Amino acid sequence: MSQTISRQKEVTLLDLLDRILTKGVILRGDITISVADVDLIYLGLKVMLTSIETAERMREVAAERYAPRSS
Amino acid sequence: MIYLYAITTHPLGDGHFCEGLADRPVFWLSYGRVSAVVSALASAVQPTEANVWRHEAVVEALMADCAVLPVRFGTVFLDKEELGAVLAAHDGDLVRDLERVRGRVELGLRVLWDVDDDPEPPNRDSPAGAANALPTGRDYMLARLKRERQRHECHQRAEALAARIHCPLAHLATDSRKQLLVTPRLLLTSAYLVPRGHMAAFEQELETLRAAYPQLGLLCTGPWPAYSFVTTAVTADP
Repeated sequence: MSQTISRQKEVTLLDLLDRILTKGVILRGDITISVADVDLIYLGLKVMLTSIETAERMREVAAERYAPRSS
Repeated sequence: MIYLYAITTHPLGDGHFCEGLADRPVFWLSYGRVSAVVSALASAVQPTEANVWRHEAVVEALMADCAVLPVRFGTVFLDKEELGAVLAAHDGDLVRDLERVRGRVELGLRVLWDVDDDPEPPNRDSPAGAANALPTGRDYMLARLKRERQRHECHQRAEALAARIHCPLAHLATDSRKQLLVTPRLLLTSAYLVPRGHMAAFEQELETLRAAYPQLGLLCTGPWPAYSFVTTAVTADP
C-alpha cells in the first residue's frame, strides 16, 4: 500500500513539475532558472517517468482511485 | 527583487496567505484590473522540490477563493515598476484568461497501456542454418514496409483508444489539451479545464472508464490551478 502511495506521489510530482516549469503565464521578467537546471530537471523527469512505467502493473493501477494530492 | 507567483482579478484581504518562498511573506500589488501576488526576495530561487511545492501552495491557497492564473516558476522582476509595466502591457489578455478559468480547475490524466506488439528489431540475425542467400534489397525494403505498416497500425489503434478515453472526459470540461504517445507506453497525456461543479461527474466518468478498460492504467491528478490553459505567453526575448 505504501508503495502505491509513493508511486502516486511520484506521479503527482511529475505532473507538478510538468506544469510549473513548462506551463503557466510567461511574462517578461527574468526567469531565474537557468536552461541547464531545466534540462537537468527534465532528465530527472524522464528517469522518473520510466521508473513509474516500469513499476506500474496495469491492473493494480486500474484499481487505484483518484490520486490524492495532499499526502 | 519581486518574485511573482500568480495573477488574480480581485484585491484580496490581508493575512490569509501562507508563507512564500524563503519563508518570506506573500502580498499583493494591484495594477489596473489585475493583482499580482508576490514576495520580495533577496536572491534567486532554486528549483528544488520544496521550493516548487511552496510556489504551488501559494497559488493553491489563492485558488480556493478567487480566479487565479498561475505564473511559471522562477519569474522575478527587478522592482514593482517593472512588474507594473509588464502587467499593464498585457492587461487585456490577463483579464480574458482570468474569466476563462474562473470557477474552474485543471485535472491531469496519464493513461498507460500495454504495447503488446513491439515492432520486430530492425536487424534480426537470421537463424544459424542460414543456407539462404544474403537478404536482397527487395527483402530489406519489404521488411521495412512491414515495420512501417505495423507502426502505423499501432498509432491508429492508439488514436482510437485514446479518443474513447478522452472524449467523454472532454465532454465534461470547458477546454482540454492532449498529447498522444509521449513515450511508447504513455498512451495519452491530457489536461481538462473542469468547472468545480463537474468534478464529481468527472470522477464518476473516470470510474466508468476504469471499469470499461481494465487493461489501461488511468492516473489522474488534481485539482490544479489552470497551468495548461493560460494563453498569456509573452516570450521573454533575452
